[in-house]
Amino acid sequence: MSAFDERMNLLKKVQQMDFVVVEWTLYTDTHPDDEDALEQWREAIKDAAAVRKQYENKFGPLSLKSIPSRQALEVGWRWNQDPWPWQL
Amino acid sequence: MWVYEKKLLYPVEVTTCNPMLAKYLMEQYGGADGELAAALRYMNQRYTVPDKVIGLLTDISTEEFSHLEMLETMIYKLTKDATPEQLEKAGLGAHFVNHGHSLFYENAGGVPFTATYIQSKGDPIADLYEDIAAEEKARATYQWLIDISDDPGINDALRFLRERENIHSLRFREAVELLKDERDRKKIF
Repeated sequence: MSAFDERMNLLKKVQQMDFVVVEWTLYTDTHPDDEDALEQWREAIKDAAAVRKQYENKFGPLSLKSIPSRQALEVGWRWNQDPWPWQL
Repeated sequence: MWVYEKKLLYPVEVTTCNPMLAKYLMEQYGGADGELAAALRYMNQRYTVPDKVIGLLTDISTEEFSHLEMLETMIYKLTKDATPEQLEKAGLGAHFVNHGHSLFYENAGGVPFTATYIQSKGDPIADLYEDIAAEEKARATYQWLIDISDDPGINDALRFLRERENIHSLRFREAVELLKDERDRKKIF
């Protein structure tokens, strides 16, 4: 697998896991007493954070809330660096 | 506040230049039932709705901005390599002479975005019913776009967006019920 494909695959995983959080967040907004949903929501946040960390360690932060990894800095990661999402 | 995430909500794959399709997609970009209107509508209404539904309006508005970015990506990719002749043939000649290859908040007919597309009534039930209608109209527009488009990558993203409108509509309906329950409880006690 090329480095680009690896990056895109991992990015897709981040998008999937983040989407689960988005979906549970909206659901719990209107079902605030659904304990099962709240538990799944908390789990989804944990899962999404783990996949995000995996991506960011290799390819650099997706937002300025993440600390750049040593690996990302070593390969010259900068925030102001393409590709931007619409350039991929 | 908001923090930018350097990724799309959902992948958008575009392989073929198609300015005509880009023009149609502008309906959901800067049109009356489009993503900009949706994002701004909910973000503005959230200040005067009951606390119970502030979270929902904030979260859906935020998601609408990520839908807007998906539309921007589609329109940008579909037009970036188009020649002025191709743009003119697709009905984007007037757009080109005013905006070049850049994006602009306008609908498929070239009418610029206006705040008169949206309302904020200071009445939570009236606002939420408008929001439900907005989601249903956006869903219908996505269906017409899918019907008119033969680009598989674009259609995949459009189907995702169409489903999101369904979910948002459902959540807004639930919000109406939450407020009605609260109102009825107040009457009893």
